[in-house]
Amino acid sequence: MIPRFWNKVFLIYRKDLKDEIQTFGQLIGTLVFGVMLVFIFSYALQLVNLEVSRVFPAALWVSVYFSASLILQRAFSKEAEEGTLDALLLASGDRGILFLAKFFCSLSILLIFEIVVVPLMWAFMGVSGQNLQLGYFAMSLFLGSWGLAAIGTLLNGMTVQLPGSRLLFPLLLFPLLIPLLMGAILTSQGALLGEVQSVMGWFYLLLMFDLTFTVVPLLLFDYVLEG
Amino acid sequence: MRQRIWQLLSAILIVLLPVNLYIIFFYAPVERTMGIVQKVFYYHVASAWIGLLAFCVVFAASIAYLWKRSEGVNLLALASAEIGTVFISGTLLTGPLWAYPIWNTWWTWDPRLTTTLVLWFMYVAYMVLQSGGETEAKKRFAAIYGIVAFVNVPLVFFSARWWRSIHPILVSSEGVALDARMKVALFASLGVFSLLYIYLLPLRMKSLELKARVRQLKSEVLP
Repeated sequence: MIPRFWNKVFLIYRKDLKDEIQTFGQLIGTLVFGVMLVFIFSYALQLVNLEVSRVFPAALWVSVYFSASLILQRAFSKEAEEGTLDALLLASGDRGILFLAKFFCSLSILLIFEIVVVPLMWAFMGVSGQNLQLGYFAMSLFLGSWGLAAIGTLLNGMTVQLPGSRLLFPLLLFPLLIPLLMGAILTSQGALLGEVQSVMGWFYLLLMFDLTFTVVPLLLFDYVLEG
Repeated sequence: MRQRIWQLLSAILIVLLPVNLYIIFFYAPVERTMGIVQKVFYYHVASAWIGLLAFCVVFAASIAYLWKRSEGVNLLALASAEIGTVFISGTLLTGPLWAYPIWNTWWTWDPRLTTTLVLWFMYVAYMVLQSGGETEAKKRFAAIYGIVAFVNVPLVFFSARWWRSIHPILVSSEGVALDARMKVALFASLGVFSLLYIYLLPLRMKSLELKARVRQLKSEVLP
């Protein structure tokens, strides 16, 4: 029973990721948007003579948030546009499977996005990586993206079924993500400055947030896709 | 019968609201260092209390809606969210009135302030979700959002608290840190505001119900 469950999750995940990579334009579009955002941020901040490297973690996460509000909307909108949601529901048989598959797909795309955008931002902002603890920095990115993807998947499942979803989605998303924003920024900063010990608590907060908002949507997802 | 209770409640409130103001301004002493501006505190705390209470009602009603799917429970949640938003807005407006002379700033990122603002945003998002034509899906999604948002509140509060706090702490393990007469004024405000909430809730539910009914009739009459 359990292997079949994960097998199905993996199948849908693979289908979605393949789809994402084949419809290259979307992914490239998002990446370009992210790069542009980073450029605007870096440029605007250096114009006012701010010590740019110090605001790097904050600027990084704000950029990720805005880009995520685009990326995360793709999970279900594709299905809704093509009317394949019902078929997918029938095929998977369990809404939890669908949630997990979509969640992992969103997470993967977010991570791909970050792999491109973060080094660029790093270079633009002239951050010195002297004391960088790379492992922790990666973990901070991973845990932050996890929470984003989990809540995003839940909300996207709802908003695609409503009119005016483009605006509604970020409106619902951002207030829920405040604790995550704090945790992500502070852990990234800690890893960047080589002071991970002092932000260990925030790593736990991120973990707790991720866990909560993976379990709660999983429980509620039956109600999202009904009828 | 229900009408009677309601009329009685409105009569009580007409009397109690001015009495509460009297207690605040004449019975409770003027705070020694802050002066008259401290009076805003009684409405500030009472509004925040109603905001939180209303949010808990939204949460409970949301669970009940997913479970029972009754129209009444959804109206309860929506009405409570609307009233909660009004009171939370009151808290957010009265806070700076006091903070500017005392802290010398309109706003700070204190846990309570941050949490209240996030709460306000979530309330507004909840109402936007329910607005513009009612469908079964919207009610269901609003209920899900009501639950998720409620789960989020403690996370917001504790993370913000971890960060820093300068807000006066009123209730601690040593009890309520207030002058006895100020305590009376505070509890009077809390009581009156709670009654106000209990009064407003069915009123708003009724008007939401009527609104839905009008819309339904319109759609039946007009092609």
